[in-house]
Amino acid sequence: MKRSVLMLATALSLSLGALQAQAAVSPLDLVAPIAQYKVYVTKELDAFVAATKDFTDAVKAGDLAKAKTLYASARAHYERIEPIAELFSDLDGAIDSRADDHAKKEKDPTFTGYHRIEYGLFVTNSTDGLAPFADKLMADVNDLQARVKGLTFPPEKVVGGAAALLEEVAATKISGEEDRYSHTDLMDFQANIDGAQEVYTLFKPLLAKDAKNEAFLKKVDANFASVDAILVKYKTADGFESYDKLSKKDRKALAGPVNTLAEDLSKMRGLLGLK
Amino acid sequence: MTSHPTSPHRTSSLDRRSLLKGFGALGGAAAGMLGTAAVARADDISSPVTTAPESNRTAERVDFYGVHQSGIVTPRPATGMVVAFDVLATTRPDLERLFRTLTERIAFLMQGGAPPKLDPKLPPADSGILGPVVVPDNLTVTVSVGASLFDERFGLAPKKPRHLNAMEQFPNDALDPDLCHGDLMLQFCSNTADTNIHALRDIVKNLPDLLLVRWKQEGSVPMIAARPGAKAESARNFLGFRDGSANPDSADAAVMERVVWVKGGEEPDWAANGSYQVVRIIRNFVERWDRTPLLEQEEIFGRKKASGAPFGGHTEQDVPNYAADPKGRQTRLDAHIRLANPRTSATQANLILRRPFNYSNGISKSGQLEMGLLFIAYQADLEQGFITVQKRLNGEPLEEYIKPIGGGYFFALPGVSGPSDFLGSALLAPGEPT
Repeated sequence: MKRSVLMLATALSLSLGALQAQAAVSPLDLVAPIAQYKVYVTKELDAFVAATKDFTDAVKAGDLAKAKTLYASARAHYERIEPIAELFSDLDGAIDSRADDHAKKEKDPTFTGYHRIEYGLFVTNSTDGLAPFADKLMADVNDLQARVKGLTFPPEKVVGGAAALLEEVAATKISGEEDRYSHTDLMDFQANIDGAQEVYTLFKPLLAKDAKNEAFLKKVDANFASVDAILVKYKTADGFESYDKLSKKDRKALAGPVNTLAEDLSKMRGLLGLK
Repeated sequence: MTSHPTSPHRTSSLDRRSLLKGFGALGGAAAGMLGTAAVARADDISSPVTTAPESNRTAERVDFYGVHQSGIVTPRPATGMVVAFDVLATTRPDLERLFRTLTERIAFLMQGGAPPKLDPKLPPADSGILGPVVVPDNLTVTVSVGASLFDERFGLAPKKPRHLNAMEQFPNDALDPDLCHGDLMLQFCSNTADTNIHALRDIVKNLPDLLLVRWKQEGSVPMIAARPGAKAESARNFLGFRDGSANPDSADAAVMERVVWVKGGEEPDWAANGSYQVVRIIRNFVERWDRTPLLEQEEIFGRKKASGAPFGGHTEQDVPNYAADPKGRQTRLDAHIRLANPRTSATQANLILRRPFNYSNGISKSGQLEMGLLFIAYQADLEQGFITVQKRLNGEPLEEYIKPIGGGYFFALPGVSGPSDFLGSALLAPGEPT
């Protein structure tokens, strides 16, 4: 008897908490920002296809210098929309896996995509033998575009994407292990942050409807601003400084806002009433 | 006594639990004597393989509040972990928020209890690895600060403890910069490694904008069978020798006052009741050690391996008489224990309180075991304490078998007086530095 009363009380407080969290947002409210996000993703994907075309053409033409220049900016489009691209894990692996993900590392025949070509361009310092990888990359990127066109965007993946991008940054961008051959990590870093900020900005008005979220939004805004302010110091005319130019002090200074954004953005789904 | 003959250890653990209830008030040390599990029988199939191992010590609790921090003269439990952090705060108010939040988290973790239940659509407040109710499990979290916290960032330079500097490189050291120093050092100790990890994850989750993990090292102490009535034995290190035989008595408050705790007057006022902490990750070349003749091992240490007794003695507590052995015929002049503590009246000033753990970290590139001593020591005067002792040890024959690779000097903050106080309150208090 006592126990069932207790369980009831617990259940009640849980559902009250849940109600509280989603009081200001109804599922219908999510439709518009998700549609807007799909437009963003579509634009980024169009640009990604075009940039990959230029990049792979340069590789196949044997234009080493041009291919090196195009590498980082082409990838950035992918890094901005990674939470959606990652929904197709076969393509994500083919396009963006790193040597660590393969048993024989750089020598593994299943290691394909941007980082495989990066290895050729920046370590072997040659386009020799890269044409088949270029062809496969182009085909995979086209495939990605086609698949995303037919995709119904799951709301929790869209909203959760902001946090997922920050997890990417916290796990592999802070360390400089993503673009280990070209050291163009800061471009990816900024692209992940931009992609997260896009999601956040689209859903921010919904969160702002609830006065309780005011401090949360202020904190998130401030941390995005801190990250951008540090990254901007490393911007160059056509991209970013090499990752090894990032000072130890700035690397540390990035860790705080990045980890805090990861913590805070992980609450966004719940705050919007999503699972 | 055994009511169910097929599962003897279950019954006996219940008995122990009721026994321990009575011991709870006497503190963890007394309870520890009873912690030996009954021998599990080979034919005992009463529980599935994945059943959680039982402990009757999870309710053991150490007081968080006090003049001194706990985890220094507190009896050492079976597991420990040190974690050095970079402080990411850039302002004094943020630094105070860091110390206040740390205080709040540590007070909760050491007390135990149920973390708040959040809307299940949100990430949970607690990692849950200890279950829905956090058990104290003898946890202590001891907070120390490094010399770098007193740099230009917070204007604390005038408050720096007199001897606190970045740890220097001694002749036998091969320090890895990624395993050294830090603005802040947390020492976690408890009955189980999982409890330490739970506490660390709680702190990391709650302070993402203020703290960044710099390096970490876990360790443990081998447990021994309880021997009711017998004199306590020092635990063994990974060289198989007892470590701590000559330690000053941590239960003797007057000795601790002299050896461990900083007093006002010699140091900035805020530092009173704090202590200098030395952490050293000392790799042991165990394969080579295990291939060294026993007699040579014993000569290098200056003690018998089995008993821990000094040469000419019978128990580890026996005090070697170096005055009667000036040429080192009984105990080599360069034996580890003779250099570390020459037992003269002058060298009484160099006593330190050691509280080490053993660590094991995988293997080296050449396939040798990476393990050794996570040396932790506390003292009232770093210069007179560890630094003087280490200078005497420089060049000792043991160096062939050991290689310090990391660590740092830190200052353990004074204790927290009660719920309205916080760690570092005196350090951060405005006013004239002394």
